[in-house]
Amino acid sequence: MASSKGGAIPLERMSVEQLKALKEQSDLEVNLLQDSLSNIRTATTRLEIASAALHDLSLRPHGNKMLVPLTASLYVPATLHDAHHVLVDVGTGYFIEKTMPEGKDYCERKINLLKSNFDQLVEVASKKKTVADETGVVLQAKLKQLASSS
Amino acid sequence: MSEDIFSCDLAATKVTMSSSNLRDLQRELESKTNDLSKLQKDIAKNHQVRKKYTVQLGENELVLKELDLLREDANVYKLIGPVLVKQDLAEANANVRKRIEYISAELKRLDGTVQDLEEKQNSKKDTILKLHQKIQSLQAGKGKA
Repeated sequence: MASSKGGAIPLERMSVEQLKALKEQSDLEVNLLQDSLSNIRTATTRLEIASAALHDLSLRPHGNKMLVPLTASLYVPATLHDAHHVLVDVGTGYFIEKTMPEGKDYCERKINLLKSNFDQLVEVASKKKTVADETGVVLQAKLKQLASSS
Repeated sequence: MSEDIFSCDLAATKVTMSSSNLRDLQRELESKTNDLSKLQKDIAKNHQVRKKYTVQLGENELVLKELDLLREDANVYKLIGPVLVKQDLAEANANVRKRIEYISAELKRLDGTVQDLEEKQNSKKDTILKLHQKIQSLQAGKGKA
C-alpha cells in the first residue's frame, strides 16, 4: 500500500499530512517485519537445539543409563531402549514416527526453509526501512521549511 | 430609522439561524465520527482474525507437506488432550485437507467483509470531510457577519 503511494506521487510533492501518514504506516510495517524476523530467529535456534539433541541421542549406545526430566526440576533414572526411532511434532497436534536419519533430515529441512524465509524477509525489511527513512527525512525538511516560512 | 432597525433584525435572525445550523452540523459530524471509529475498530478486529487464520493455514500446509512425504506404513499420532492417539495416515491426510479447505473458505469470507467495511469507511470519511468543509465555510461566513 505504502509503496504504491510512493510510486504514484514523489515524496517531495506530498503534503505534510500525507507524509506523516506514510511515515507512520511504513514504521509500523518495519516493526512488524522486525518482529517476524526475531520470531524466525528463535524458531531456527530451537530447531538447531533439537537437531543437536538428536545427534547426541544417536551417539548413545543401547541400554545407556540416563536421567529424564519429568518437570524442569524432577529427573528420573532410565535406560535408553530405542535410539533409532523418534517422534516428530509437525504442528497442529500431529506427531510422526520417524527413524533417526529421517528425524535429522526433518530438522535440516525446516532450518533451511526458515533460513530462506529469513533471507527473503531481510530483503523486504531493508527496503521498507529505506522507504521509512526517506519519508522521515523529507518530512523533517518540510517541517523545517514550514517553521522558517511562518 | 425604522429601516435600520429592520435590517439589524434580519442580520440577527440570520446569525441565530446559522448558529443553530452549525450546531446541527457539528452534532452530525460527531455521530459520523463515532461511526467511523466503530468501523475502524471492526476492521482492526477483522485483520486480527485474518492474521490468526493465515497463521493456521500456513501451519496446516506445512503439516500436509510433511504427511505427503511419508511412506504408506508410517506411524502417525494425533495429540488429543494429553494423550497421543495413533491415527491412519489416510485419515490424518483427509483431516488436514479438510481443515485447509475450511480455513481457506473462512479467509475468503473475511476478505469480503474487510472489503465491504473499507468501502463503508471511505464513504464515511468523504461525508465527514464534506461536513468539515461546510462547518468551516459557515464559520467563516459568521466571522464576516
